Amino acid sequence: MNERLTEQKSIYLQISEMIETDILREILLEEEQVPSTNELAKLYTINPATAAKGVGLLVDEGILYKRRGIGMFVSRGAREKILAKRRAAFAENHVVPLLAEARSLGISKEELLTMIGERNI
Amino acid sequence: MSLHCENIIKTYSGKDVLQDVTLDLQPGKIYGLIGRNGAGKTTLLSILSAQNPASRGTVTLDGEPVWEHRKSLAKICFSRELNANAESGLASMKAKEYLRIASTYYEDWDKALEERLVKLFDLNVKKKFGKMNKGLLSMITIIVALCSKAPYTFLDEPVAGLDVVARERFYKLLLEEYTGSGRTFVVSTHIIEEAADVLEEVIILHEGRILIEADTQAFVDSAVHVSGKAEEVDAATAGLEAHHPETVGRSKGVTVFLKPGQSVDESYDVSVQPVSLQRAFVALCGEEEAK
Repeated sequence: MNERLTEQKSIYLQISEMIETDILREILLEEEQVPSTNELAKLYTINPATAAKGVGLLVDEGILYKRRGIGMFVSRGAREKILAKRRAAFAENHVVPLLAEARSLGISKEELLTMIGERNI
Repeated sequence: MSLHCENIIKTYSGKDVLQDVTLDLQPGKIYGLIGRNGAGKTTLLSILSAQNPASRGTVTLDGEPVWEHRKSLAKICFSRELNANAESGLASMKAKEYLRIASTYYEDWDKALEERLVKLFDLNVKKKFGKMNKGLLSMITIIVALCSKAPYTFLDEPVAGLDVVARERFYKLLLEEYTGSGRTFVVSTHIIEEAADVLEEVIILHEGRILIEADTQAFVDSAVHVSGKAEEVDAATAGLEAHHPETVGRSKGVTVFLKPGQSVDESYDVSVQPVSLQRAFVALCGEEEAK
């Protein structure tokens, strides 16, 4: 939750991604309360409506849920859900730009595979 | 409840400072009023708060005219930028006296908050305005705005003269007051980048007219910077609203404002990058300088 905001992406998306990352890293645990939109607004110095939009996105995806009168909590199974989502988006977000750069540099598929093969994950 | 102005025209010695401004300020939002020097920001705020009459047009709060209407006026606070020069006659005024006058004017004045802020800003209230620097004077305008508890509060360049730590503190205080009260704030500022994320709505005033009034995020998301080889950029942005072209040799960059449903044709070899509120503003209002 303490990453810095950048200009490269809409703030509300960054807020939801930061909460997701904290869940992945088990900084936020399942069934645990997440900071309120007002707390997020103050922490990042952003409009509470923006923070609410980011949190709302995760509620829509079932990653967070609302306990009436108390606040937002991490859903059971949220971590698995985020892992599945990020794996599904991995090719689009990381492999496609990698190939585009390789193409413009004239790096062949074989060379690329060799580079990957030489490295550990 | 809403503060509404319609077809406002303001003429100073034959020159139109505001031209046909219509605006509806909804309760419970933080608006940013941005514009270049001389765009008419201060004039607009002073007309909305009935400190200055419009040449033409009306300002109403919940349907009632604001001008010389005590009930409406008590709900609007315009904390002006303080000038301790000879003209303003404020040089010999002590901060303490100014705050006391303000506290009698606004019926819901928050004395406890005043004391907290004076302490937080480490302000010597016995000091005369004439002996204060711009930063200290800004702090006083901020204290008046926040403590007034007015449902509609305008801050004109509240961070002018404040250092970066004090500016950040101001925005946090503003958010704290806003989330706790649901008041409406209009903040004008030149330091756009720092304010951008705090502003729910943005109003861009340019040469006396409102160019943009939109959700900040939606406005920022509608703008993208497209760059690459000039022909490719032109082809990718054909038919789109492009501003502020900059060229270096064969390379070109433009800021494009996309209407709903429009997109940049990325089948061309161009870079498409997001744009900050400040860059979008410069692209819209800085056209002349670019030529």
